[in-house]
Amino acid sequence: MLNDPLYKQLLEQSWQRKLTETEESRLRGLLESHPEAQTHWDIEAALSEALGQLPPAPVSSNFTALVLQRLERESQTRSRRRGKEWQFWRKLSWFPTTALAALVLGVGLLTYTETRIVHRQALLKSVEAVSRVASLPSPRILEDYNAIQALSTAPAADEQLLALLQ
Amino acid sequence: MSVELDPDAALMLRVKQGDSDAFAELVEKYKQPVMNVVYRMLRDATEAEDVAQNVFVQVHRAAHRYQASSRFVTWLFTIARNLCLNEIRRRNRHPADSMDAPHPEQEDAPWHQYEDKAAFTAPEHLLHGELEEKIDQAVAELPENQRLAILLCRQNELSYEEIAKVLGCSLSATKSLIHRGREVLKEKLKPYLRTGTWRGAK
Repeated sequence: MLNDPLYKQLLEQSWQRKLTETEESRLRGLLESHPEAQTHWDIEAALSEALGQLPPAPVSSNFTALVLQRLERESQTRSRRRGKEWQFWRKLSWFPTTALAALVLGVGLLTYTETRIVHRQALLKSVEAVSRVASLPSPRILEDYNAIQALSTAPAADEQLLALLQ
Repeated sequence: MSVELDPDAALMLRVKQGDSDAFAELVEKYKQPVMNVVYRMLRDATEAEDVAQNVFVQVHRAAHRYQASSRFVTWLFTIARNLCLNEIRRRNRHPADSMDAPHPEQEDAPWHQYEDKAAFTAPEHLLHGELEEKIDQAVAELPENQRLAILLCRQNELSYEEIAKVLGCSLSATKSLIHRGREVLKEKLKPYLRTGTWRGAK
């Protein structure tokens, strides 16, 4: 292969398309000055031509219609799926209300139970405090309580009279 | 490239807005180039048609993502390449006898024969031309990336830079792929190319 930038450029162009008139004349000039590259070029040109002769791939006559049908089917499937999702959520519409009611009921029940437990604990403490008072003296010692209390309220002694008597 | 310069980009903008006529126009315009690439990548007419249709379905589905700044044809062939490679990978994972693949004792038989599809006359034509068959076979035996590079190179719409974009590699790597692929083809088809039988056959 000729190591010339112009040759390389023309070669790359020929891989993609037929050379223009100008490019052809430049190539002719190049090959005249480098006849050893002629064989390489001929084989390259023959290969490009051979590739260009490959028959077009088979395409069914209703290709476009089939693509559009496929899109249509896809859009129908999507809307059907969306409809099903909507129905599913509609069926579950009772769920949030029921869940909220259950939550309120649960919280109420929990609060009530807590309050009862606290109340019972307070009662327990009171009973405990009372039960500790078991060692107090018998109530009989308070039998003369009123008389003793009355003694403390008796009038004070007449100190002037006592002094005269002496 | 501006929208005014690329009519395909203008059509895609219409597709984005839900214009199905614009989409049908694009399909009509590119069905053959896409099928040429997909068919020679997959070597199975039924699968190729299915994948090619899927290429356009994907184009429609991803229309909202299309940027008018890039050429439509590059985008289209990138989608085609990805779907072809997915299909080839799927086949490799689940190797199974294709309905269209030739049986070992019928290596020379055509790959498929369908009725009611006018365009399917092309493979029959292929059967009658030995040279066409030889080159078709030689292209089919190329490694995937070289084959794709050569097939894209034969698409007049794509420049080397755009082929590189589709293949997801550098410009020099792309040219190297094409060069190596052509070297393999030249080696396989040497007798035909040297004697000029190809030219004489036309």
